[in-house]
Amino acid sequence: MELSTKFGSQVPDDENKRSSETMQYIVIRLGEEQYGIDIRNIETITRMQHVTRVPKMPAYLKGVINLRGVVIPVLSMRLRMNLEADEITKSTRILVLNLEQEGNVGFIVDEVKEVVSLNVDDIEKIAENNKEGKASLINAVGKHNGELISLVDLNAISLEG
Amino acid sequence: MDVSQYLEIFLDETKEHLQNLNTRILELESDPENADTINEIFRAAHSLKGMAGTMGYKRMQNLTHDMENVFSEVRNGTIRVMPEMIDVLFQCLDALEEYTENIQASADEGTNDNEALIRQLNDILNGGAASQSQEQAPAKTEEAASQPAPSGGNKWDSIRLDSSQIAVIQEARNQGKKVYGVNVMVQESCILKAARAFLVFKAVEEVGEIIVSDPSAQDVEDEKFDRDFTLIVLSDAELETVLHAAESVSEIEKATGAPLVLENNTSAETEEAPESIKTEKPAEQSAPETEKAAPAPAVPVQAAKPDGRKPAVSKPVVNRTVRVDIEKLDALMNLVSELIIAKNSLVSASSQEQTGGSNSSFNEQIEYLESVTTNLHESVMKVRMVPIESVVNKFPRMIRDLSKKLDKKMELYMTGEETELDRTVVDEIGDPLMHLLRNSADHGLESAEVRAQRGKPAVGSIFLDAYQDGNNVVIEVRDDGNGIDVEAVREKAIERGTITPEQAANMTDKDIIDLLFLPSFSTAKKVTDVSGRGVGLDVVKSKIESLSGEVEVKSKLGEGSTWTIRLPLTLAIIQALMVVVGDEKYAISLGSIQTLEDIPPSEIKLVQNKEVIHLRGNVIPLIRLNQVLDVESKRSEDENLIVVIVKKGDKTAGLVIDELIGQQEIVIKSLGKYVKQCKFISGATILGDGEIALILDANALI
Repeated sequence: MELSTKFGSQVPDDENKRSSETMQYIVIRLGEEQYGIDIRNIETITRMQHVTRVPKMPAYLKGVINLRGVVIPVLSMRLRMNLEADEITKSTRILVLNLEQEGNVGFIVDEVKEVVSLNVDDIEKIAENNKEGKASLINAVGKHNGELISLVDLNAISLEG
Repeated sequence: MDVSQYLEIFLDETKEHLQNLNTRILELESDPENADTINEIFRAAHSLKGMAGTMGYKRMQNLTHDMENVFSEVRNGTIRVMPEMIDVLFQCLDALEEYTENIQASADEGTNDNEALIRQLNDILNGGAASQSQEQAPAKTEEAASQPAPSGGNKWDSIRLDSSQIAVIQEARNQGKKVYGVNVMVQESCILKAARAFLVFKAVEEVGEIIVSDPSAQDVEDEKFDRDFTLIVLSDAELETVLHAAESVSEIEKATGAPLVLENNTSAETEEAPESIKTEKPAEQSAPETEKAAPAPAVPVQAAKPDGRKPAVSKPVVNRTVRVDIEKLDALMNLVSELIIAKNSLVSASSQEQTGGSNSSFNEQIEYLESVTTNLHESVMKVRMVPIESVVNKFPRMIRDLSKKLDKKMELYMTGEETELDRTVVDEIGDPLMHLLRNSADHGLESAEVRAQRGKPAVGSIFLDAYQDGNNVVIEVRDDGNGIDVEAVREKAIERGTITPEQAANMTDKDIIDLLFLPSFSTAKKVTDVSGRGVGLDVVKSKIESLSGEVEVKSKLGEGSTWTIRLPLTLAIIQALMVVVGDEKYAISLGSIQTLEDIPPSEIKLVQNKEVIHLRGNVIPLIRLNQVLDVESKRSEDENLIVVIVKKGDKTAGLVIDELIGQQEIVIKSLGKYVKQCKFISGATILGDGEIALILDANALI
């Protein structure tokens, strides 16, 4: 969690300098809430498939899958965010992110909804005094068509909590 | 032109030459009169100098230049090889290595001029009263090179010059520049001709201007030339300087040249210059191999040398090799892996089909595919294999230095340097081996007095033996020193609180010795900078284990110790037994499996509250895999157990599984660092149906 504070402000800071620009986010759903993930970090999105369990791992680490011949770990986004355990439905997807440190990591999400372009001015950084729980994984909130989308801090999400 | 693209070649070759020098100078130390060794040293030093110069590393060039001078005098017989001289030379090599490392890190050689070393080298030169012949040598070179060399029938005369080029030449002449035709011959064994040619272009351009090249510069760069190419050069410098520049590039056999005769001829005449009129030979700096700077006609050594026109005779036969980026090999390897997975899925598909109705020709094709993939796999593995020589070569030098530092007499005997291992393993094995050798030298071998008391020869022996044993490669480091003092280790362990006195009483000598591999455990009474800082054996062990190998030690107090490293030949693809635990599939490497047993529950006994079975007189502890892996077993309590007996060293254990699938060739995939924490999972593999099975590391379970 400490790391989230260290990296937390990177994305918005970067963008504030060029305020006329837009950022693209993939909007995912976990339960009732919507989250946005920077599209530049997304490697691919696959349907839910069999995940091979790895023994003696934390609960949120669901196991590994075969992505085009490469073994990649799969995490439960819900458990990572301290939400209830996943319920696998037809719309469940594995979102494969390309993270700087860990390489490709898959995240199980309830649904992948759409791609949105957010104007940089519509992205509001969240103060970082809340250092626990899921809030630390969110570093900004974006406004889109009157709805609020929590923007996920990718630097924090994959690291051990 | 930019030389950075040749930096890699430069680094590779520099390292090779340095290694060669290290080895040869060691030879020279034991056999100072050996003319072949001296010649080889001279050649290597000369190539180094040339390469450093071409790449613009002046400090490196200066140092090698002075070293070369010393070698040259040794070769001429004017200086004798002295122990002090060897020491200085080794220091020079270390300095050169430092330059090389700097260059590798930052493409810059650093700022250390090593003046002290250069002074020492010059002292050696002067001490040998060599200054006189020193002056003679270059003078002769000059003489030989500057012989008048009228042209006629030379390659450069047949180059067609267009009018603009002739105009350029005329213009240059008017400015007082000289025009030379130069023909450069590349060695037959040269692999990267284009790179060499490029370096020649660059070297020549430093002293003059190349106006014409035949074949064209583009063709030369694309390696569209046979063994030689011809240049027409404008320069203020003497012909000899130009030729020398060209020859300073390594693997250039010779450069010949002469002033271009154009003055009184028209371009047409130049074109027609008849090939047959060969009145005089062009000036020719004889340059067998790359050696040439100081021709020493009066020295007997020269007599033994082959004629300059037959290169590569005096050199040991070099394997024809191609340098391939390891990433390309990895890519090839991955493709082979994919192919094997595809083959496995075909096999599983066909075995399902078979229940319906057999199709023999289909099966035949699958078997054929299987044999092809197996062969392909083997060939690719072989490509990745390199002899451990490249790693162990540096050890004689290290032992020599240690011998001086520790003031103990010792000798290193090596066998099996040609044993081959996967490239990735060879790259990693150096440090652990070095540590074991240092350990033997420092702790193992006794001081001279003790050795004398014990009636051992004054010179301690350390052996490094490598050989292949089945699917493993074994590397042994052995010494005839003191051996491990088990009692001392026991006391130390108790004192450190690693074990309690009660535990110590129950532990066998072997268990005690294994304590040495624990982190921060060193029995050395005094800490030296050679070993004994307590960081070492545990690092050795973890390194070897990360390569899927094991390390063992056998020791007899007073007689010496043997450290045995056992490494798998291949890392990427193994034969494995596929098993089912609960509803999950796992792979166990066939290498660690001894037998499969069917055991009725009634045969399970309890010893110290642990389940064991008796098998052919042995008591074997049982490990229930479903408990270890946190899954529900599908078998009921009263069913017979399927037990896989696995072995690690002399320890055995029985792994209880639910179901056997069978033997299969599997491709090991890394789980990535994200899921590294699990000790007994060594990796994953992709099955024929695309699913993942985890690979159980039986060694970690025992």
